[in-house]
Amino acid sequence: MFQNTKCECGHQNPTGTVLCEYCGKPLVEDLPLDSPLEMRYDGVARRSQKDNPALIDRVWNFFSSVKIAVYLIVITLIGAAIGTIYPQESTFINLDDPAQYYRDTYGTWGAVYQALGFSRTYESWWFIGLLVMIGTSLVVCSLDRVLPLYKALSKQQVRKHLTFINRQQTVYKAKLEQNPEEWTESFAKQLKRKHYKVKIEGTALLAEKNRFSRWGPYINHIGLIIFLLAVLGRGVPAWHMDQYVSMDEGQTKQIPNTNYYVKNEDFTVEYYKDEELPDNLKGTARAKLYETKAVLYECTADCDDPIKEPVLTEVDRHDIQVNSPLSYKGLKLYQYNYEQRIRLITVKPMLVDSRTGEKYGPFELPMSNPPLTYTAGPYTLKLSDVYPDFGMDEQNRPMTKSRDPNNPAFVFIVTGPGLDESGEIYIYFPLPNAEDKQLQQMINASFQKSGNNSGRFSFEVGKMENVSFSEYTTYLNVRVDRAMPYIWVGAAISMIGLVMGFYWHHRRVWLRIDDGILTLGAHTNKNTFGIRSEVAGALKKTGIEVDPKALDNRRNTR
Amino acid sequence: MNWLSISSNAFIIAFFLYCFSFIGFCIAIGGRRWSNRDVEAHKKRWARIGFVLAILGWVSHLVFFFTRWKGGGHIPTSNMYEFMTFLGMAIMFAFIVVYLIYRTALLGAFATPLVVIIIAYASVFPSEVQPLIPALNSIWLKVHVTTAAAGEAFFAVSFAAALVQLLRVVDFSSKEKSAVRQQRGVEWVLIFIIVIIGFLVSVFGFRAGGYSAEFRQENFEIDQQGQELDSVQSVKYDLPPIVAPYNSETVHMTSFLGMEQPLFEAPSWMNGVNAGRKLNTVIWSIISGAILYGIARLIARKPLAAVIHPHLDGIDPEDLDEISYRAIAIGFPVFTLGALIFAMIWAQIAWSRFWGWDPKEVWALITWLFYSAYLHLRLSRGWQGTKSAWLAVIGFIVVLFTLIGVNLVIAGLHSYAGV
Ligand code: HEM
Repeated sequence: MFQNTKCECGHQNPTGTVLCEYCGKPLVEDLPLDSPLEMRYDGVARRSQKDNPALIDRVWNFFSSVKIAVYLIVITLIGAAIGTIYPQESTFINLDDPAQYYRDTYGTWGAVYQALGFSRTYESWWFIGLLVMIGTSLVVCSLDRVLPLYKALSKQQVRKHLTFINRQQTVYKAKLEQNPEEWTESFAKQLKRKHYKVKIEGTALLAEKNRFSRWGPYINHIGLIIFLLAVLGRGVPAWHMDQYVSMDEGQTKQIPNTNYYVKNEDFTVEYYKDEELPDNLKGTARAKLYETKAVLYECTADCDDPIKEPVLTEVDRHDIQVNSPLSYKGLKLYQYNYEQRIRLITVKPMLVDSRTGEKYGPFELPMSNPPLTYTAGPYTLKLSDVYPDFGMDEQNRPMTKSRDPNNPAFVFIVTGPGLDESGEIYIYFPLPNAEDKQLQQMINASFQKSGNNSGRFSFEVGKMENVSFSEYTTYLNVRVDRAMPYIWVGAAISMIGLVMGFYWHHRRVWLRIDDGILTLGAHTNKNTFGIRSEVAGALKKTGIEVDPKALDNRRNTR
Repeated sequence: MNWLSISSNAFIIAFFLYCFSFIGFCIAIGGRRWSNRDVEAHKKRWARIGFVLAILGWVSHLVFFFTRWKGGGHIPTSNMYEFMTFLGMAIMFAFIVVYLIYRTALLGAFATPLVVIIIAYASVFPSEVQPLIPALNSIWLKVHVTTAAAGEAFFAVSFAAALVQLLRVVDFSSKEKSAVRQQRGVEWVLIFIIVIIGFLVSVFGFRAGGYSAEFRQENFEIDQQGQELDSVQSVKYDLPPIVAPYNSETVHMTSFLGMEQPLFEAPSWMNGVNAGRKLNTVIWSIISGAILYGIARLIARKPLAAVIHPHLDGIDPEDLDEISYRAIAIGFPVFTLGALIFAMIWAQIAWSRFWGWDPKEVWALITWLFYSAYLHLRLSRGWQGTKSAWLAVIGFIVVLFTLIGVNLVIAGLHSYAGV
């Protein structure tokens, strides 16, 4: 396309210019007649409108097109919507065979959905790719426009071409009855009272306000870019950690892959009282508040030594509730969940000699990390086996079903006066339920049968004070998210840009008086209604009555 | 009298004031042709009456809100009933703001019925004050819900203005393809609204008649440990069961017009008892909507849009275009702040992640992307007039889907109990 870019006023414009940079006369011949001018970037040329684009220019042009941007936005929107049809795989905590699960739960469509990868939409390469492309588009589009716009707005001419004025959205044209200079002065005064900055050259006038609002969209876009970069940055492993720790009351656990340990000193739940509940919920237990009294420790010595206990130093403590995490140097511990589950912490049983009825002890037996030897009176107990979650395998041999202390059992070798050198073997179930007691008796009896003990000893806890137990298990979610500050900064910048761009409007008024004929044009990027009533108001104060609506130059177009 | 009963009385007063306000605005527009009147004076007078009634209704609505807050002990935005009434209040606020800028009675005639429908819809849900679960007990949640609703309210006003604009500019005399398409499109929007009214009519009608039915459904499931779970769920219907839940048995059922048994059973892919009930509700809404629409068509003998069209000729479509756009321009930053940024802050504090791709979150993002597409198209592709009006109409449907549809169709962390 060949286009003459030299204006009749003598100014040589860059290729792609729509309105002469100097006087505003339209340069493109085929602009639709008598419609308002396209004022978007004041008609200046942008980089993407260069002649003979090279490859890099073509990429640039692709991303600088708002049309492409809208396509990207719409495709992202549709992709995001498809991702909500069935639950995402990431919402299940453990899903061994997703394909199977989707087929079973959602039928054929579910299977197809899963096979096409929509069950992982938001982690998929194409979705992230779209976000990256939006980011690129944001950068390129903004750069492509903001510089030319800045230049155009900082070198505006006061006296504009008549065509330029006549073809604004808001136009007033009439014979002026008053003295041109005096009227211009008084009109300028009116505009100044409305906070316009006014420049006058003879009988030509340019008034402008709120130019800064033009930068709003760009500031918004910068914020969005920062936000997007931060979101992508969360993919960097060192920036992101997401772990779960479950603890019974009184338990201390290491936070996986860190030097930190956390202790659950106490867990409490408060339920709604019946009178606080509506009728249909009365009598049900509804949690009102739950809280973990947590202590955070840092390991300061012997951390990786498998033999020694690590040395822990308290660094922080906090009562963690749902909306109130513990936060220490970028590490955050959130209340994630809890479960009511009775777990023993320690018991203090006594060794009972059933022949004499004499009791020895008590000795202290902690459920986690129990020591290897105990003394009860003259007797020594050596721990030979521990089953945290006791069960029997197919051959009826004792085994542990898991590492969780759901149903602990301890096997002791008792030695002491009157006993064999090799000692006697007894099993002990500290949980006070009948089933366990029966099991204990049965197993001990079978030990007796095979000659491993004489059936002389049993165990007894006696008073409740000798048992300490945890009623709840708390689940904490441990997070590190180093990108968060950038996320918030990006969001804040974006918001500032939005407010600037939407709650203030850039307004400009041009006028010139030629042979007693006043030609006035006004432009705003938003709220034409507002500028019309502002112009009509100012005209009225200078003695020209005009209905704001009559200023609208768009009447004849649709 | 305690706070909660003051509150529910204020709610009823607000409801009626809104209805009267609607009538006022209608008279302002429709009564222009009444004989021997000064058209401008008539319009001004009745528009003023409509607006004053709207303000009074809104004040009463505020009374409802704050007394319920006082009586319930927490801000009433935590279940569907409370949220929808709050949304109605926010739309009224947005309407008042936009009305004060542009002063068009037409906007009132379309925004007030929208509010009436929304608060009637709210009343379908149980209105008891419910206790909060701990995650909801956060200042950020309050800030989030209120600002998000405020943003959405401006979108609602934009929808009202865009709908008037479409009704105003669509050419009902033309048989051209594009004109016919527009005519159909506008008519379908009206039908959509009438179906919602049909829903309200059937729910309140059968509720007033004390209708009920109950079903039981037994469910076998195999959980992840390979154990069989057997659960029995039951569900109560307020509407006569045209569709029963899949594989269910009737516990009891009031007969309706000789109908003693459900006519159909929901298809098997509709999991759970509630899916059957929701499907039944949808069918009833469509039936009653169709009846209402049929009656209206019989009376009017032409498309409803064509009935409304001639009453709207007093206003410039450009002004409506501007109002619709301006409402979005005001609402967009508010929505961004409320529905996305505050939501992220709250999610970060309560759930330890600022974003979790929960369906509700995703739909808030979709809404936001949709309106940003609208803004870009308008700004740089010159999509103004009818094109942008269509987008504003569709945009509000997206908003409604985010607020209601997601709860009905897809459930997530945010889901309130749905009808
Ligand atoms: C795909 C990448 C994007 C590109 C290339 C892009 C480009 C643009 C451009 C060129 C403008 C015109 C600025 C002006 O002339 O004053 C604009 C305006 C704007 N953009 Fe974007 N944009 C993108 C994404 C977004 C997104 C995701 C949002 C979400 C909020 C957004 C929000 C806005 C807003 C609010 C405006 C101002 C609109 C108005 O004043 O009516 N943009 N954008």
